[in-house]
Amino acid sequence: MRLHIPPQISRLLLLTAVIVTLYLTARYFLTPQSFGMYGWYRAVALDEIAARPTTYAGQKACDECHSEVVQRLAKYEHKTVACESCHGTGQAHAENPDVSVSKLTYSHCVRCHEADPARPKWLKQVKSKEHYTGQRCTECHVPHQPNEVP
Amino acid sequence: MKKLLELVLKMGGTGYQPVFGGNLPPKIATSQRPVPSKGHFQSLPLGRRSVLRALTGALAGALTLSLSRKAKAAVQKMLVSSHTPKGYDPTKHKWLMAIDVDRCIGCGLCVEACKTENAVPVGPNYFRTWIERYVITRPEPGSGEMRGETLVDSPNGGMHGFPPSLVPKEQILKSFYVPKLCNLCEHSPCSQVCPVGATFDTPDGAVLVDPKYCIGCGFCIQACPYGCRFMNPVTKTAEKCSLCYHRITRGLKPACVEVCPTEARVFGDLKNPVANDPIHRFIEKNKAAQSLKPHLGTAPRVLYAELDKEVR
Repeated sequence: MRLHIPPQISRLLLLTAVIVTLYLTARYFLTPQSFGMYGWYRAVALDEIAARPTTYAGQKACDECHSEVVQRLAKYEHKTVACESCHGTGQAHAENPDVSVSKLTYSHCVRCHEADPARPKWLKQVKSKEHYTGQRCTECHVPHQPNEVP
Repeated sequence: MKKLLELVLKMGGTGYQPVFGGNLPPKIATSQRPVPSKGHFQSLPLGRRSVLRALTGALAGALTLSLSRKAKAAVQKMLVSSHTPKGYDPTKHKWLMAIDVDRCIGCGLCVEACKTENAVPVGPNYFRTWIERYVITRPEPGSGEMRGETLVDSPNGGMHGFPPSLVPKEQILKSFYVPKLCNLCEHSPCSQVCPVGATFDTPDGAVLVDPKYCIGCGFCIQACPYGCRFMNPVTKTAEKCSLCYHRITRGLKPACVEVCPTEARVFGDLKNPVANDPIHRFIEKNKAAQSLKPHLGTAPRVLYAELDKEVR
């Protein structure tokens, strides 16, 4: 017995086949090549995100030219403070030494050392309104060697 | 035992030849086995013409496949700019951030550094990382409570430090700062809800957003139980802490970790431990380190040491 397919059904079948083929072709061409490499996403996105520029150069870059200062700093209380914590972004300065890093002011000191009950007890804190007002911090304290008196 | 085995063999196996003797069914004669007839082989299409035809077909197929691959590559090049692969293999690292709450002094340098490094829009609602100040007051006399109220504030994310607390010092039972950031969930709800696969968990432990694929629907912002995501008003795409992916892939520390003056933030690679590694030292020292909202089943990976139970 031969299977007889009515023409309207065979036309529908043909149309379905064409649509499915078109979809599969489009999917084949449009799916990014790196899709599915690590998961349900474009793996190239990792490279794109990793290609963004940096603004902080990192302590190693500072150490390349200013190793003397970095080594001296490591012996004192401020050893955990990175150069860029106080001196600001350094990538531009690392690429071109003519670009200077930001100037430091009094606010850099009180940013950490202003007395606050939320601050841990081990941190040395002062009430800036009562602590030698009218004098600059650096008159008595050396930021790179906080234990020493100038 | 042997009888039972024989019974089983009698019932089931006809062609089975046991190695040991016994009362077993006789071996089937070889003449009874079905042997394919000669005519069966002759009907196979192995003529010269058919072989040539099959080879030509295979060649044409291979040619079409290679051509379509070339065409696909050309289309891909038009659609997405491809980057040359760099010498970083995400499967060979597993990054982790840990925070020692007792060491945070609330200076806000991390928040400022994050905004600068990642070009996060200026404004009080856009933060990839921020600091919260917790103030737990003393209980009312005679209330029978152990603690009073818990007040949390984060003026401008703590970016420019904190003004003095409005609660007088005598009323404060406990006060501390808690830095917050993406919790690097193992089962991140944000990447589960993304309808276009624009946010994803990387093999090296970061959760990233692909700004080229993000459609800005904001599902992920609703899904994050830690409030770590926001909509970038300029690009109109979702944004979050990327663990400074552009820095860690170059061997640098994330910007917030770099500038943290007290080592409250610790960062490291779990897969490549080095001597005196801060992250391994942290895990060794703080065995009771917790993560935020562990009951949600998101498996957050960022560790917090000395965490008060009030912190959510």
